[in-house]
Amino acid sequence: MASSQCCFMRFLALVFLVFAPWQLSAISIAEVRKSLVRVSVTEQEPNYRVPWMPGNVNSGTGAGFVIEGNRIVTNAHVVSNARFISIDRENDPKRYIAKVLHVAHDCDVAVLTVTDPAFFNDTVALPFTDEIPQIESSVSVYGYPIGGNRLSVTTGVVSRVDFQTYSHSAADAHLSIQTNAAINPGNSGGPVVQDGKVVGVAFQGYGGSVAQNVGYMIPVSVVKRFLKDIEDGHYDHYMDLAITTFPLVNPAQRRALGLPDDGRGVLISSVAKKGDSDGLLLPGDVLLGIDGHDVESDGFIMLDNERVQMPEIVERKFKGDSVVLKVLRDKKEQEVTVSFRQAWPYQIQANQYDISPRYVLFGGLLFQPLSRDFLQASSIDDLRLRFFYNFYLTDALYLERPEVIVLSGVLPDPINTYLTDFRGAIVDEVNGVKIRTLTDLANAFEKPADDYVIKTVGLGRPIVLERSAVDEARERIRQRYQVRLESNLSDKPQF
Amino acid sequence: MSIFFKMFSAFSPAALMNPRRFALWSCALLLVTFLPTGLRAKEAAPKPVEGDKKTSVDESPLSVVRVHSTNQNYDFFRPWSKRPPYQRSAIGALLPGNRVLVTAELVANTTYLELEKPDSSEKVPAQVEIVDYESNLALLKPSKDGFLEGFRPLEIEESKVGEQLHVWQLENNGNLLSTGALLTAVEVSSYPTDTASFLVYRLTSALQPREGSFTTPVVRNGKLTGLLQRFDPRSQNADVIPAPVIRHFLKAAEAQPYRGFPRAGIAFSNLRDPQLRRYAKLPNGKGGVYVTDVLKGSPGEKAGIVAGDVLLSVDGKAIDQDGNYDDARYGKISLIHYLSTLHFDGENVAFAGWRDGREFQAEVKLTHRASGESIIEPYIIDRAPRYYILGGIVLQELSRQYLREWGQEWLKKAPERFVYYDKYQQSLFADDPRERIVVISQVLPSPATLGYESIRAVEVKEINGVPLKSLDDVEKAVASPVEGFHRIKLEEDPGELILDAKEVREMEDELLKAYGLSTIRQL
Repeated sequence: MASSQCCFMRFLALVFLVFAPWQLSAISIAEVRKSLVRVSVTEQEPNYRVPWMPGNVNSGTGAGFVIEGNRIVTNAHVVSNARFISIDRENDPKRYIAKVLHVAHDCDVAVLTVTDPAFFNDTVALPFTDEIPQIESSVSVYGYPIGGNRLSVTTGVVSRVDFQTYSHSAADAHLSIQTNAAINPGNSGGPVVQDGKVVGVAFQGYGGSVAQNVGYMIPVSVVKRFLKDIEDGHYDHYMDLAITTFPLVNPAQRRALGLPDDGRGVLISSVAKKGDSDGLLLPGDVLLGIDGHDVESDGFIMLDNERVQMPEIVERKFKGDSVVLKVLRDKKEQEVTVSFRQAWPYQIQANQYDISPRYVLFGGLLFQPLSRDFLQASSIDDLRLRFFYNFYLTDALYLERPEVIVLSGVLPDPINTYLTDFRGAIVDEVNGVKIRTLTDLANAFEKPADDYVIKTVGLGRPIVLERSAVDEARERIRQRYQVRLESNLSDKPQF
Repeated sequence: MSIFFKMFSAFSPAALMNPRRFALWSCALLLVTFLPTGLRAKEAAPKPVEGDKKTSVDESPLSVVRVHSTNQNYDFFRPWSKRPPYQRSAIGALLPGNRVLVTAELVANTTYLELEKPDSSEKVPAQVEIVDYESNLALLKPSKDGFLEGFRPLEIEESKVGEQLHVWQLENNGNLLSTGALLTAVEVSSYPTDTASFLVYRLTSALQPREGSFTTPVVRNGKLTGLLQRFDPRSQNADVIPAPVIRHFLKAAEAQPYRGFPRAGIAFSNLRDPQLRRYAKLPNGKGGVYVTDVLKGSPGEKAGIVAGDVLLSVDGKAIDQDGNYDDARYGKISLIHYLSTLHFDGENVAFAGWRDGREFQAEVKLTHRASGESIIEPYIIDRAPRYYILGGIVLQELSRQYLREWGQEWLKKAPERFVYYDKYQQSLFADDPRERIVVISQVLPSPATLGYESIRAVEVKEINGVPLKSLDDVEKAVASPVEGFHRIKLEEDPGELILDAKEVREMEDELLKAYGLSTIRQL
């Protein structure tokens, strides 16, 4: 569900912030001072245009805070692609070296620890609240935002509690809390505090040219879910019913489906193939209840005396959990249990971090899987490529092509001088073998043959590379373009 | 908040509508009439550009007339209404038989046409006799016989690269304004409707902006050699519909009914890559093109040509590796000119080619492919858009004319799925039984459509179990509701919309009244 929303949100200019608060209670500020840290990070962003190059090195700072277990919570986007992390805090001149314990890019949270245990001697672990703060109640935001070097506090009220796209992955939406407390670059990862307890982690907001006083924090429910998920030493990500729903407001539609006029039920409009609900739910089913909660016709449920969106139930599930759904199918009520086996695997529309770009270079032709990172880096603007990207999920294109392999670039050489027009083409077959993944492509090029005939989607003319020519050009291309590695098939984290 | 509002409104079709924009064009080049000509025309009358004496004697104004066209475009976002009317004026070239040649674009969706004598300003209504939007040419006839008496019809003559031509415009006082132009290139290029490519003359000319120059004749030695169809005042480059295309049009116009320019329906790409040539087992030599696609039902397919064939010659004329043949007049010119302009609908050409390491011959009977033969029509002009409103749900047929309503940037702004469908329709729908793709373009809020208001630009599969081959099937489908409901199955989310058949019937009049519609359907 979350994944299908992504494309609608992309034009909103959400920007990340790094963050700080201000509090009336003297006890509280003293404790926050002992917990708040500044996180300084040197990161290296992979270069999707020249994927064998190590990428540019940048540095930035964010905030974080100490929690129980000698751990520090911050945003995933503060430490993503990190090569070196150091930490400092108020009233301590030393700088400490930190490392990432776990990171969740789908909900923008990470936990770090400091290698020197002495660091935690004088720190206070901030407690979390158990509740979503009330609308209009005051909150203080702590951090090290732009405007100075020392700790900064801003205050405001809780403006809204709603589902929001998390810009870090750009493909996930979770609950988030909006506040009018100033949240600026440098606030990211800092605690948002109310009555001495953390109610959220500052993480994103709008630039001043788009909206004023709109900042967002990650609610404690999301942070706690992450901390629980990693208790087994492994982050399993969010679970997803992988369905889309449609509000059942139309009276005729309700009558035709056999529903009374009681404001209950949403239409299940699509069920993603290979998702956890595939085969269990059917398009056209009416979802009436979820884990004992009635689903209202606009997709809301009552949970802990709050009216919240129905996906909030699934948000709290872990791998291996299940959910009991009450559905109306062919006008008969029935119960369906969906077990969550795995996180949604097809993530080409999400920003990826802490991985190295995957590619294959052959005869000076660069092949890469279609992904958000790839498209953002690339200058290719091709209608077919855009269609394959934007409709990858809705049209279940992943069934035929778990990876969409794109001829993304041509390193000019006599061997490929007539092939530059093919830039942006989607690879369909090599020597008669269907290409479903980058590994398929690498294997096809490994197989001995005189000619490699590459068929692309929709372009009637094949690409022909003669083995002898490829061999002859290989060293020349490697040297001329400083290709360190001709392929990278693994996206294993580099740290 | 205002910023938000702006951002979202940019996505609503209403905000994009510009009634003054002429929907037919996708080209970014400026048209002659789009210049602020009103002011300039009042300046001191510019002197005719120096030509040689001989030609200026022949450049009699009695070979041209002013043409005024009032046009009113259909609104594909509101298919029940038309856009505000607008006027355009041009200089028409007089041809034998009291006929006037202008570009088709001038008279697209015309509601009223007038001819005006340059010297006396005498006016007479006129009709379109033949119009061909693909080659962008139209023949007009005055409603009164004898109106053009005493005028000297123009002969037609081809020109060559390097020759000096003249672009004819008219001063306010009716005097001829003749501007020199150099013919710099002759090549095959796509025409405004984007359905076909034909020859163009490219000129460089210091043309002066003048009112009423939407179309102007281009002459050489007092003979018509082309019609100006585009001019970019910054680069001073002009595109001209050349004599060979005009000749073809006029000859075709002699037959009834008019049959347009023919095509083979074969797509090909160059064969420069030696690796591809060796792979195709081509004999030594340099020429030939690689067939990438053969349109279903096309002359090429009927002649047995398939993707992967290499075409080496046509009617004994060698085809080079870029798809050119050696034209007697123009030298190396795309094969397309030979097939589409130098041949007429129904004529045969003989291809020789290479397939599986062997030579083959294929006789192709060239035919015209009408706009309506495409599942997504490339243009709909002089014809009201079809629609059917079911309880407020507006059903329309997908066409490029509809997509163009998103403006010059329609390729980026129109619904991406539909733009993709349009561009790749030949392969995507090669085996589709449908004649048209029926879509919900929008939903007019009404009691019957409560909750459906946000639905737009989705493809409809079937209504009440009846698959829709075109909008014509809606009537039949609606006649048999399922248990009192109309069930509209969609290709995308939300999958299905349901209406109460009785309610839909009963509210028809109310809906017409509420939205000021004259009819619930237009088929």
